[in-house]
Amino acid sequence: MIVRRATLAGALALTRAEVADMFQYRVVLFLYSLWEVVHPIVYLAVWGAIAGDGDVGGLRLSDFAAYYLTFMLVSHVTAAIEIYTFGPMIQQGELSPHLLRPMNPVWVAAARNISYKSVSMLLLIPVWIGLVIILRPSLTITTGSAALFVVALVVAALLSFLVGTTFALLAFWTTRSFSFWEIWIGLTFLLGGQVAPVELLPGFVQNLATALPMRYTLGFPIEVLLNRLDSGELALGFALQFAWLFAAALVVRAVWRAGIRQYSAVGA
Amino acid sequence: MPPDVSVRDLVKHYVVPERTGGLRASFRSVIRRKHRLVRAVDGISFEVDRGEVVGFLGPNGAGKTTALKVLSGLLHPTDGQVDVLGFTPWDRRAEYLSRITLIMGQRQQLFWDLPAADSFLVNKAVFGIDDAVYARTVDLLTELLDLGDLLTKPVRQLSLGERMKVELAAGLLHRPRVLFLDEPTIGLDVTMQQRIREFVTAYNAETGATVLLTSHYMADVKALARRVIVIDQGKLLYDGALDGLVRRYAPHKTITVHLEREADLPDLNGQAEVLSVDGLQITIRAGKDDAPEVTGRLLTQLPIADLSVEDPPLEEVIDQVFRGEGP
Repeated sequence: MIVRRATLAGALALTRAEVADMFQYRVVLFLYSLWEVVHPIVYLAVWGAIAGDGDVGGLRLSDFAAYYLTFMLVSHVTAAIEIYTFGPMIQQGELSPHLLRPMNPVWVAAARNISYKSVSMLLLIPVWIGLVIILRPSLTITTGSAALFVVALVVAALLSFLVGTTFALLAFWTTRSFSFWEIWIGLTFLLGGQVAPVELLPGFVQNLATALPMRYTLGFPIEVLLNRLDSGELALGFALQFAWLFAAALVVRAVWRAGIRQYSAVGA
Repeated sequence: MPPDVSVRDLVKHYVVPERTGGLRASFRSVIRRKHRLVRAVDGISFEVDRGEVVGFLGPNGAGKTTALKVLSGLLHPTDGQVDVLGFTPWDRRAEYLSRITLIMGQRQQLFWDLPAADSFLVNKAVFGIDDAVYARTVDLLTELLDLGDLLTKPVRQLSLGERMKVELAAGLLHRPRVLFLDEPTIGLDVTMQQRIREFVTAYNAETGATVLLTSHYMADVKALARRVIVIDQGKLLYDGALDGLVRRYAPHKTITVHLEREADLPDLNGQAEVLSVDGLQITIRAGKDDAPEVTGRLLTQLPIADLSVEDPPLEEVIDQVFRGEGP
């Protein structure tokens, strides 16, 4: 894919403006993302209660603490917000001015995603550090796992963005794109490593979770960082993560083209 | 030199769902949806040369905005050929979008909470405008539109008129060669409308840009466009000089006389109708063909201090066109 230089410069300028814009809403943003970061405490409390002084499938309380503390950051970095940002733009006809610029409007969604996360991250890191001090997770991070984690996290964020954008693009055809999005959210809750780490899921469900894309937007980077995977599982995981990323890119492209055809046929 | 804009047999139809109000109709529409075909643009052709300013006239729903959206590439036509600057608009090639602009009275592309200067910088980057050209263009636009310190205030604090000026400037930063202006003065007060008109004239003179504008303020069209294209219900009714439109469609002239002293009106043979008598001023309406004869008779038979013969106001003429009256 060839990206025009002006497009990259444009996306960068757009991100800068979006960041400035986000700062106008810092309090709302803080409260909104605070929930996103803090709610994994609920899962941690439940698993902690079950584990007690012992373990669940080899995971002790401090392991759950490490898992869900990492989860807080990962889920924030990989959160897909396009259904709230890009979808309404399409529905309310705000897409037209963007279509008149020589830059694909999906970049607008990307700029908003990045600006939201970078601004809210600044506000949330102190909260997170506080939680680490309180919860004392057992973390053994190696340079290798940290490097792989960064790759897995970036790919997870990209994949998640593309999935979110695909659902947002459904607004070209339906006013109910939220309902479809809820299905994705539900599946991620069950199979993505949210309600439980994937390794604790029962056999058949675990295979399903390994094959489907949800884990690669959320649970997988955490497992990589915490060294929960052997080399075979790592290789398979990355292969599937990249495969899903590639597939999602193709889907977004196809849906965008079909959507634009629809938009320009029925009235922009 | 080929024309900047060339439109041949342009057709744009929409299919829209339709149902009457009420719960029953609502249930029925779940089972069987009725659709209706809207012929927004129904086979129009025209050309616009480099540097021309052309006004699109038509009542609400005539298809003006649809036509502009097709021309700017937002809409894919149902049929017909369109060529603007050698491009097919709906391919939306970057090279094309960099040469045109569409400014819609109510749409906004500016960041609401930021000063417009920030939105300008985004456009600068997106359109790949180099620093020197950007600085010159901002200076020019600031001068022509009297932007002053508007660019440094958050957009949400600007008045509607101020925002429109800034919006116009944002849409012109990349120095488009063809401007599509859809109701650029809508909702603005008379002074601000005047200002925008002067700007479009000055911009056209300064840059030689081609301008197509729609407006339902007749004053806009009168001030800006020597040529008008009248469309109604998707069809082209008239394409030509503005005064030609009046000549062709105005069925009568208004004759106003000022008398030196009171006098009885001569017999007008039913060729004219007295609209009002106000002291020494008499206003008479005469058929277009009868006007010379009526004027002659008035001049010979009345003690006249002053006499003027005028076309009816443009609004009246246009109304006549849309109601399908006249020739």
